Amino acid sequence: VEMSVQRLISNRTSQQSASNSDYTWEYEYYEIGPVSFEGLKAHKYSIVIGFWVGLAVFVIFMFFVLTLLTKTGAPHQDNAESSEKRFRMNSFVSDFGKPLEPDKVFSRQGNDETRSLFHCYINEVEHLDRAKACHQTTAIDSEVQLREAIQRGRQPEEELNRLMKFDIPNFVNTDQSSSFGEDDLLISEPPIVLENKPVAQASHKDLD
Amino acid sequence: KPLISAHGPANDSARNNSDCPHVVLPDEVFFTISVVGVLENLLVLLAVIRNKNLQSPMYLFICSLAVSDMLGSLYKILENILIMFRNTGYLEPRGTFETTADDIIDSLFVLSLLGSISSLSVIAADRYLTIFHALQYHSIMTMRRTVIILGVVWTFCTGSGITMVIFSHHVPTVLTFASLFPLMLVFILGLYVHMFLLARSHARKISRLPRTNMKGALTLTILLGVFIFCWAPFVLHILLMTFCPNNPYCACYMSLFQVNGMLIMCNAVIDPLIYAFRSPELRQAFKNMLFCSRCQ
Repeated sequence: VEMSVQRLISNRTSQQSASNSDYTWEYEYYEIGPVSFEGLKAHKYSIVIGFWVGLAVFVIFMFFVLTLLTKTGAPHQDNAESSEKRFRMNSFVSDFGKPLEPDKVFSRQGNDETRSLFHCYINEVEHLDRAKACHQTTAIDSEVQLREAIQRGRQPEEELNRLMKFDIPNFVNTDQSSSFGEDDLLISEPPIVLENKPVAQASHKDLD
Repeated sequence: KPLISAHGPANDSARNNSDCPHVVLPDEVFFTISVVGVLENLLVLLAVIRNKNLQSPMYLFICSLAVSDMLGSLYKILENILIMFRNTGYLEPRGTFETTADDIIDSLFVLSLLGSISSLSVIAADRYLTIFHALQYHSIMTMRRTVIILGVVWTFCTGSGITMVIFSHHVPTVLTFASLFPLMLVFILGLYVHMFLLARSHARKISRLPRTNMKGALTLTILLGVFIFCWAPFVLHILLMTFCPNNPYCACYMSLFQVNGMLIMCNAVIDPLIYAFRSPELRQAFKNMLFCSRCQ
C-alpha cells in the first residue's frame, strides 16, 4: 500500500528531489508536506506513550475482571449446591421406583462406568445444554473412574485436579482429542451413544 | 505494507526529521524472526499432516492459523530479498517487474493478516461449539464441513486482500481494514468470556480451588493480550497514516513503524506456542517426529 502511495508522491516530488540516488525516494513518502515540529504543547511522543499505557491498562484491567469473576460467590454456596444435587439424585432414583441413599449408590462395587455415567446423567438433568461434564466423565479410563466414584463425596479437590484443567485451550483440546481418538468406535457420534447407554443400564441395575 | 528500510545514503536535508527520527531496526533482526516464524509454523503443519490422530477439525483450524502466520513471515523474507536485489542493482527501482512484485507482496501481507484474523475467530468459535453444543459437536463439525469452512474463509480473504491492495489509497478501504480488528476482538472476547464463565460455574459446583481459576484467567489474558499487543499498534499506524499524516504527533507515532511491523512478526512466532503447542497430543507428535524418526 505504501509502495503505491510512495510512487504517487515520488512522481509528484521528483522535480524537487535533486538527488538521483535510488534510495531517497523511499523517504519521500514522509514528505507529503513538511512536518513542522514547532510549538508543540505536549510531548512529541505523547500519542505513543498514551497508546501503550492505554493498552497495558486495558489488558491488566481485563485480567483483574477475569480474576474477580472467579472470586465471586460465597464458599457456603458449594455445600448448598452439592446437597441440592443429592436431592435431585434422590428424586431421579425414586422415579425408577426404588429409593436409594446417595452414598449407597456410590459405594456399590458395581459397574464403575455406569456409576460415573449415572452421575453424568444427573449433571445433564441439572443443566440441559451444559453437557461438558458428561464429556469429561466419559472421556477418562476405567481406573480413574473407579477412583473418582469411591472418593467422590470426600475429596473434591482431587476430582477437580483430574477433571477440570483450567487452561481453557487445553481444557477443550485434551478432552476432545483423547476421548475421540482413532481407536474409539464411532468417531462421529460417541457422545450420543454413550449418553443413551447409562440410563438403560442404571435403570436395569436399580430395578434389580 | 512495505516500507523499505533505508540502505543508501540518508539524504535528510529535505526533511525536518531531527525531532522524531525513524527508528530503524537492523534487517538481521527481521530476517531472524521471520525465519523462526516460518520454521515453527512449518513444524506445526508437518506434525498435523503426518499424524492421522491429529486430523480433526480443531487441528485443521490450528493449521490454518499456522499457514497465515507462515505467509506473514514469508512476506517479510521476500521483501528483504527484493530490497537486497534493488540495492545491489539487479532490479530497476520503478520498473514494471518491481511494481508488480511489490503489489504481489502487498497482497500477501494483507492475505496473511486477514487469514490470521479469521483463523483466530474460527478457533474461538470451534472451542465455543465444543463446550456449549458438546453433544452435537461431531455432527455439526464434520471434516467435510471443516474443509468447506476453511475454503470459503480463505477464498474470501484472498479476494478481500487483492481488492484492498488495488483500492488501497481510498479511505473506505482503510476504514474497513482497521475496523476488522476491534470487531474481531469483541467477538473473540465474548466467546472466551462466556466459556470462562461456564468453566468457573463448574468449578464452583465441584470444588473451590481458586488456583485453577486464576490459571484460566491467566490463559485467557495471555491469548487475548498477545493478539492485542501485536496487532493494535499496526492498526493504529494505518489509521493515523490515513487521517493525520501531517500532524507532528501522528508523525512521531509513525516513526516507530518498524517496531510495529516487528510486533506482527513476533505474533507469528508466539501464536504456535500458545495455540498449537499447548496441546499435549501435538507436542507428543512433534517429539515423535523430531527425535524418533527411527521408530517409524
